[in-house]
Amino acid sequence: MSEKFSPTLRIGDLSDFIAPSQACIVSLKGLKSSSSNPSANKPEVSTSNQQLKTEPVKISLKDCLACSGCVTSAETIMLEKQSLDEFLSNVNKGKPVIVSLSPQSRASLAVHFGISPLQVFKKLTTLFKSLGVKAVFDTSCSRDLALIETCNEFIAWYKKSQMNDDERCNTSLPMLSSACPGWICYAEKQLGSYILPYISSVKSPQQTIGAIVKNLICQQMDLRPDEVYHVTVMPCYDKKLEASRDDFVFQVESEAKASENEGIKITEVDSVLTSGEVLELIQLKGVDFKALEESPLDRMLTNVTEEGELYGVCGSSGGYAETVFRYAAKLLFGKEIKGPLDFRTIRNSDFREVTLEVEGKTVLKFALCYGFRNLQNIVRKIKIGKCDYHFLEIMACPSGCLNGGGQIKPKPGQSAKDLIQLLETVYMENVLVADPFSNPFVKRLYDEWLEQPGSEKAKRHMHTEYHPVVKSITAQLHNW
Amino acid sequence: MELEDGRFELREIQKLEGHTDRVWSLAWNPVTGVAGIPYVFASCSGDKTVRIWEQSPSTASWECKAVLEDTHTRTVRSCAWSPSGKLLATGSFDATTAIWENVGGDYECVSTLEGHENEVKSVSWNASGTLLATCARDKTVWIWEGEQGNEFDCVAVLQGHTQDVKMVQWHPTMDILFSCSYDNTIKVWADEGGDDDWACVQTLGEPNNCAGFLVSGHSSTVWALSFNHSGDKMVTCSDDLTLKIWGVDTISAQSANGYAPWRHLCTISGYHDRTIFSVHWSREDIIASGAADDAIRFFVENKDKDGLVDGPLYKLLMKEEKAHDMDVNSVQWSPGEKRLLASASDDGTIKIWELAPVSC
Repeated sequence: MSEKFSPTLRIGDLSDFIAPSQACIVSLKGLKSSSSNPSANKPEVSTSNQQLKTEPVKISLKDCLACSGCVTSAETIMLEKQSLDEFLSNVNKGKPVIVSLSPQSRASLAVHFGISPLQVFKKLTTLFKSLGVKAVFDTSCSRDLALIETCNEFIAWYKKSQMNDDERCNTSLPMLSSACPGWICYAEKQLGSYILPYISSVKSPQQTIGAIVKNLICQQMDLRPDEVYHVTVMPCYDKKLEASRDDFVFQVESEAKASENEGIKITEVDSVLTSGEVLELIQLKGVDFKALEESPLDRMLTNVTEEGELYGVCGSSGGYAETVFRYAAKLLFGKEIKGPLDFRTIRNSDFREVTLEVEGKTVLKFALCYGFRNLQNIVRKIKIGKCDYHFLEIMACPSGCLNGGGQIKPKPGQSAKDLIQLLETVYMENVLVADPFSNPFVKRLYDEWLEQPGSEKAKRHMHTEYHPVVKSITAQLHNW
Repeated sequence: MELEDGRFELREIQKLEGHTDRVWSLAWNPVTGVAGIPYVFASCSGDKTVRIWEQSPSTASWECKAVLEDTHTRTVRSCAWSPSGKLLATGSFDATTAIWENVGGDYECVSTLEGHENEVKSVSWNASGTLLATCARDKTVWIWEGEQGNEFDCVAVLQGHTQDVKMVQWHPTMDILFSCSYDNTIKVWADEGGDDDWACVQTLGEPNNCAGFLVSGHSSTVWALSFNHSGDKMVTCSDDLTLKIWGVDTISAQSANGYAPWRHLCTISGYHDRTIFSVHWSREDIIASGAADDAIRFFVENKDKDGLVDGPLYKLLMKEEKAHDMDVNSVQWSPGEKRLLASASDDGTIKIWELAPVSC
């Protein structure tokens, strides 16, 4: 299991010696027993003896989130609420199930089967509906909403940063993107309070669609939000952790229990399946996927035109830097950028920046920052106050989301690099590039529900908070 | 060279006191001891300080010229000079690596590298001084690149070891990194694509978890490693009480533009009865070892095998019993012409030795 989470999360577990209370989260295979030779245990640091346990302890992902130890060296973690079995059991129980599909997962399956992402979308709609799923949506649609909120938030932060020091609030630039749960988890657990104020408060596309489905779509589909089982399909295992956060559970007043002043808790996203797990599902059902019929798409929350073409932003990790850059250039400096942005590689292909110059002066400096090593450099620069970027799109995985831990593995003989290149090409294949601000579905969401970007309603439903994880005493003692 | 037959003695030149806790490691400034520049080395200790020692040109005695303190908050485990001798990197149990610059005799902490989750165990500069490697109990090896203004960027975080990484060491001429660990292995890391694409290209000795029978690898913690002058041989020392010699075919290494596979050449066993913590290969091909039995030993290649094919490849040149009162944590040959060795010990002292032929 541990190999599947993003490298940043995996690196979060860096303790040789897990406290007994945390013994659940380490594979004890291959550990050496204490040597009879006294000097073998030269006390470079004092540590307690490792305890060998044979029975894996069950822990939930919530426990992982609350724990200041590691997350994911946990080969024995039971992803009970986040598994294919759980999904099938809910489908079989006759629960109303809604599936939201990420564009990265579509690309992964498209490359695997040698068909187009649109075909994958339609065939998966057939497959899921044959199992009893009520609707299959598209997280590129909710992502457009998240991007608009991010643009709006960036402008607000930028303007604040331009004020003089007295008026400046506690938010300041750079703004760090918030869509990557591996990065958020690392920031909360390892970096703590100095970095969290820089992270955009906008929810990820996954949680945005969760909020839309459970707050709005359920009613429109005449379903009870507390009964609907909402599943996302993601390129990433860390998304399972994200879905488990308490921040993404909201309360509604129950009609029956209104007098008791106690609401029903609604989880935005009940379960996350990875691209790989969907492939498992296909294999489990013995389906000839390529031969599967292609169903029409559910238009309610899907970026598909009247003519049946998919659309969305460029950028296989969500297009945050690009979208905010174009918006800020236009709004703040009146510069409409035509054609593709000129991202320049700085250190390596996972660190690329784009700048806007006005009268010879750099006025906007944005970057894509993927993978742990690049993330480290940015974090250190922020800490010492030497980071001159305005916005950073941070992803924990090298190459970003298409290379997520939940994606289908390369075929035998295929290198990881070759696969990424293929995915990058296929990702935008037959997908129209479209400005999130002109997305009719998103416009309707604002008109009918959220009012406008950054409104109180939008803040309540589309934004979140981050919490530094306080190191437990045992973890601290063990790090001593 | 008279190493073959001559008898040697280890003369204690001076015992240096000052650290108030065990001395973990020491490093000679590579540009000293030559061209009339007095010898300088650094030592680091459980007392959280680094001390800079210099040999007085007039009296030839060693003095502590500087104490680098109030930066690291826990044990300073390792120190290394950049090839130019201008920068000193120190790795500490406080999870940071500090970079010190010598400004007119004063040492100033010019940068602190954070990122490791816990105790930094070792630091090493590459041959050109552009890259710094660090390793830690967090099982990772990090590579940093020096930028303008003493800023350092992380270029790689290398995961592969399954336990505490004890030491990192760059190859003396090529940008290939070696690390050794509590997982009993030595890993070789190279930038194969040339685009900061660092990856493990070889593991010497896989974890000892299957049949427990390994012909070439160490069977317990590998504490340290050192290269010979030309860089085609490497010695490793271990808790398994052996030294192992590894070799690489230099011609294929050059044609492969860097990395070629390393193979086990021989094992020096039967000489140590306690953990070997430190090993260092001199320019004259004398291998010094420091161990938990408080002794320092010297080994040389065995050239008088009399045609015996299976004869030992290395032999003990001499052994200094009771070199220190406690564990010998580090032995380091000096640069320059003299056959000087410095040793650091749990007894809190550093000793300067000269290995000299017995005068009869």
